[in-house]
Amino acid sequence: MNLLKLENGDFTFHLSKREKLLLLAVLDRYPLIPSRHQPLSKSAASAESETDQRLLDEALAEHRQENKRRLQTWLENEQRFTKTDSGWHLLLNRSEIEWLLQVLNDIRVGSWIILGSPEKDLWDFTLNEKTAPLGWTMEMAGWFEAALLEALQPGGAT
Amino acid sequence: MAESVTPEVVPDVGQEEQTRPKSGLEPGYLVICWNDPVNYMDYVTHVFQTVFGWPRKKAEFHMLQVHEQGKSVLTRESMEKAEHYVHQLQKYSLHATMEHDQ
Repeated sequence: MNLLKLENGDFTFHLSKREKLLLLAVLDRYPLIPSRHQPLSKSAASAESETDQRLLDEALAEHRQENKRRLQTWLENEQRFTKTDSGWHLLLNRSEIEWLLQVLNDIRVGSWIILGSPEKDLWDFTLNEKTAPLGWTMEMAGWFEAALLEALQPGGAT
Repeated sequence: MAESVTPEVVPDVGQEEQTRPKSGLEPGYLVICWNDPVNYMDYVTHVFQTVFGWPRKKAEFHMLQVHEQGKSVLTRESMEKAEHYVHQLQKYSLHATMEHDQ
């Protein structure tokens, strides 16, 4: 996945046929972070903080539901990808890139959490038919994130 | 060239003032980002720039603090603003919390 050009705020990426399939397969797994996983505070334990934690959990759950709906609409848009001789062109504006980064990182971090949050080596888990797809998903989500982040850097467009 | 990053707008907290205790309005809450091995350094830097509207150098400074020291205090805010920032950071799946500064 390479950035081809940045014109009037629109980023055009080139993806090989296989990269497109991989991107769709990764996005299909959203969301992966378990609900109520993210604490608002490490120290607070009052009734008020419990209420605040519940409100945060609800807001994050709503955010993920909205992202899921947007993702479905986004993927159903047949003009999202344009076929070329060597693969596909993907057109994204900055807002869509920002949103895709959130979606991809939920998938990456969620995979890692489900794998037991290995600390020193991300692949420090028992490899089997359940964990291998998660490890693969974690790596691929990160790979697409890196491509998007590189495109946002000054000089990212060639 | 990529465009500059636009910070997210902090909501108006004026309406909350009558319902929150006074302590919640004072800048007594620290927004902290904690280290984890899964988030890319470039990603963390990008999120700090986006959420706080910081220049890249400042965002990189805090990212490195997280990476090398295990955590970084990103800002000191009222309860409402701290909650807002923690929510924004968690939307990006960063490990962020708010702690009362005692």
